Amino acid sequence: MTTKPWNWRLWAGFGVSVLALLVYAVLLQTTRSIFWGSLALFILAAAFLVSGLRRLFAQPQPHRGKVAGFLLTAVSVMIFAVFVWGVFLAAKYFPAAAHAPQVGQKAPEFITVDSHGRSVALAQLLTTSITDSSGVSRTPKGVLLIFYRGYW
Amino acid sequence: MGILPVAISADSPEESRNNLIQQAGLTYPLLSDGKAEAIRRYDLLSPGAGVDGRDIGGTAEFLVDTSGTIRWRDLNEAGPAAFMEAAKVVQ
Repeated sequence: MTTKPWNWRLWAGFGVSVLALLVYAVLLQTTRSIFWGSLALFILAAAFLVSGLRRLFAQPQPHRGKVAGFLLTAVSVMIFAVFVWGVFLAAKYFPAAAHAPQVGQKAPEFITVDSHGRSVALAQLLTTSITDSSGVSRTPKGVLLIFYRGYW
Repeated sequence: MGILPVAISADSPEESRNNLIQQAGLTYPLLSDGKAEAIRRYDLLSPGAGVDGRDIGGTAEFLVDTSGTIRWRDLNEAGPAAFMEAAKVVQ
């Protein structure tokens, strides 16, 4: 019975690749900087794969093991390709907003249309009277602008 | 706490009514930024990223006080707890 000392490294490389992609997909909605964490995991996966492939080439015999080894590496590379595609998609759907107004700046004015077709400007919102649960009418202390993607 | 939330997207008033106000029963104002002008001014544009290829905005929130100054913002990074901390700031 021959031992296969290269085995665990290639499986580790594959496993860490899968983990890296999952971590990115799951945590992307929470924070965009998860990209760096996933990238670090892919680098770790690459280290395992390279190390495992080296040992694989050092084996003089069965090429059945080598085929499996190449397959694991190829699938791991494909997983990384899916990650790269995901990063480009994320850039398209989650704009970096480098020039979005900062805390302390004046909120840019704008005019929009409400659901009844009336025009609504930011200045109007800041002076709209709202009635709280006890029936008291007053102007708001602040307005929370919630930009969302819409449904179309 | 006296903060007025308003939601802004590139959806038309009809689309907002049909999708969210009528079906989901949302009661706060949904504002239509049909040409994505407000979206551009806040640098949130996702060009052509709408389902029908229209320009839409990415998600972000800005808390504006009565003087028109931004007191807090979240470019889709923080969560509700961070907003509650910021809401106290304008009281």
